[in-house]
Amino acid sequence: MSFTLDEGEFLCLFGPNGAGKSTLLKILATLLRPTSGTVRIRGFDLEDDPEAFRARLGLVSHQSFLYDDLTARENLEFYAGLYGVADPAGRAEELLRQVDLYDRRDSPVGAFSRGMQQRLTIARALVNDPDLLLLDEPYTGLDEHAASVLRDRLRALHDRRRTIVMVTHNLRRGIESATRLGILARGRLVFLAGRDEVDADGFEDTYFRCMEAP
Amino acid sequence: MTSRRVPLLPLLSAVLLPAAVAMVFFYAPTERTMGVVQKIFYFHLSLAAVAFLSFFVACVAGVLYLVRGKRRWDAWGAAGVEVGVVFTTLVLITGSLWGRPIWNTWWTWDPRLTTSLILWFIYTACLILRSAVESETRRATYAAVMAVAGFVDVPIVFLSARLFRSIHPTVIRSDSVGLEPSMIATLVVCMAAMLVFWAGLVRLRYGLHLQEAELGDLTRRLGG
Amino acid sequence: MSRVWFLYRKDLRIEFRKKESVASMTFFGALVLVILNVAQGPGRRLTPETAAGVLWVAVIFSAVLGLGRVFARERENGCISALLVSPASPGTVFTAKALVNLTLMLLSQAVLVPVFFVLFGTGLAGGPLALVPSLLLVDAGFSAAGTLLSAVSAGTRRNEVLLPILLFPLILPLVALAVKATGGALAGRPLTELLPLLEPLAAFGLIYAAAGYLLFPFVVREG
Repeated sequence: MSFTLDEGEFLCLFGPNGAGKSTLLKILATLLRPTSGTVRIRGFDLEDDPEAFRARLGLVSHQSFLYDDLTARENLEFYAGLYGVADPAGRAEELLRQVDLYDRRDSPVGAFSRGMQQRLTIARALVNDPDLLLLDEPYTGLDEHAASVLRDRLRALHDRRRTIVMVTHNLRRGIESATRLGILARGRLVFLAGRDEVDADGFEDTYFRCMEAP
Repeated sequence: MTSRRVPLLPLLSAVLLPAAVAMVFFYAPTERTMGVVQKIFYFHLSLAAVAFLSFFVACVAGVLYLVRGKRRWDAWGAAGVEVGVVFTTLVLITGSLWGRPIWNTWWTWDPRLTTSLILWFIYTACLILRSAVESETRRATYAAVMAVAGFVDVPIVFLSARLFRSIHPTVIRSDSVGLEPSMIATLVVCMAAMLVFWAGLVRLRYGLHLQEAELGDLTRRLGG
Repeated sequence: MSRVWFLYRKDLRIEFRKKESVASMTFFGALVLVILNVAQGPGRRLTPETAAGVLWVAVIFSAVLGLGRVFARERENGCISALLVSPASPGTVFTAKALVNLTLMLLSQAVLVPVFFVLFGTGLAGGPLALVPSLLLVDAGFSAAGTLLSAVSAGTRRNEVLLPILLFPLILPLVALAVKATGGALAGRPLTELLPLLEPLAAFGLIYAAAGYLLFPFVVREG
């Protein structure tokens, strides 16, 4: 598999379970080492300086990565500290206001609803103001309302500077916000095109054709 | 994929093991004070040597797996731990059989006994760990870590055991060997036989682990 | 360095809010001491070395309770993945976790050792302060090895059962040495005489600090 992505793009990758979506994302997040091949960010090999790369990375998955026994503010302050943010308390407050959780800042996260946790998860992924944001099935377990809130949030985040890669098997949600669409099947990238080159209904047909092809 | 090679190690051990047994009973002289019980020593020492070798193999395979991530190193490690545990069990049993008439007890907290027992516990824990992990790569990583973590304990185990009083006979010292020449010859043959037998067993278990893993791959491909 | 501090402070904050580890460690350790006191029978005195054995049984059984919790927390909600994609290296995470475990052990022992002296202290020449060197050294080694193995057991299906099964064989020599050293201390022997026993304890701590630091990254990257 080989593809390049320009800065500020929003790539959405689709594929059934076991197609290698999560593996690809884990490699991008430096959680897994590729068995062969390389990942280059702005011309630099990922393996050369993974720590500098991680400092500029944000990751959102269907797991919250939050500590249930800590409050929203403590969670954000902890992660901000971990990323070496200059003023963890100030950064946490700023993010809490952004995701409308400032009023609940001192409640333990374990008491939050799924939608609130997801908002806080996004805030958590933004503590270091990342250049590359990775999203792994962010819609899993969200109801319609929470999902549309998430979609709006993602659109707001996509500000032509930040590069976003999302993997999902939710076709509709993915097409809504991406600038580029890709399909993964059996560990291969079988389709990749700009959002404006495909129409939503046609893409669904392409998707199912890619699934069936041997 | 079956190799039609001659099973060299099993054939060789089929010759060497009976030869070793014959030498122990008909060639080596019966020890004066201990009598016929002493003959178990030839097996005891040979078993102990290869058991320790197994754990060394497991540790080296563990390091190689962690560095290279190749499946075959995990298979070597698994084979080493399995065979090592079986051989250590035999070491403990043969030691007890000897200790009962000579020391008048099945068990004593002697350094060497303690060391063998602790090693037995560490590597049996490794086996339990393998059975408790589903995912193949995770199981391999954990088992490798445990094999290495267990082996670096050995110096401390020896050190701690030395501080306890020892009644275990030291047959082979650095300056002299307290055995008659015919006994030494028997011991050497016994060791060689055990080594060949051990290598054959480890090789066999290694092949089995690899095949199991490949079978797992095939089943998954059919299922997916 | 500051990352170790952030990780350490985060764990202790959760700990003091929920009090799940220290409280159960101390309570269970005290329970073991009482059980052993009952098993010993009324009015009998223990030799210093047997008394030391009693103390160590209580200490290691209580410590293993807390260790499992400290790492299992990172698996809930996948927090460990967030730590791995952060600029903090896995070695940093290991150091912080080992320090947390060390702190929890010391806190629970601050209660357990006095309880031990109340129940078993009559006729012992050495006081609680004489135990400090060996307790510190064993706690350091125990938390280094325990942190590594709690990460292993947290990734398995049988977390709680597996941790003592994996950890106790490794620390057996540590316990054997510690019983000898504390036995000597309780008998009132000076520290200089016990040095040959304390040195291997320190060596164990160093070996497992190094082994843990090197092996921990492999364990946490799995899954």
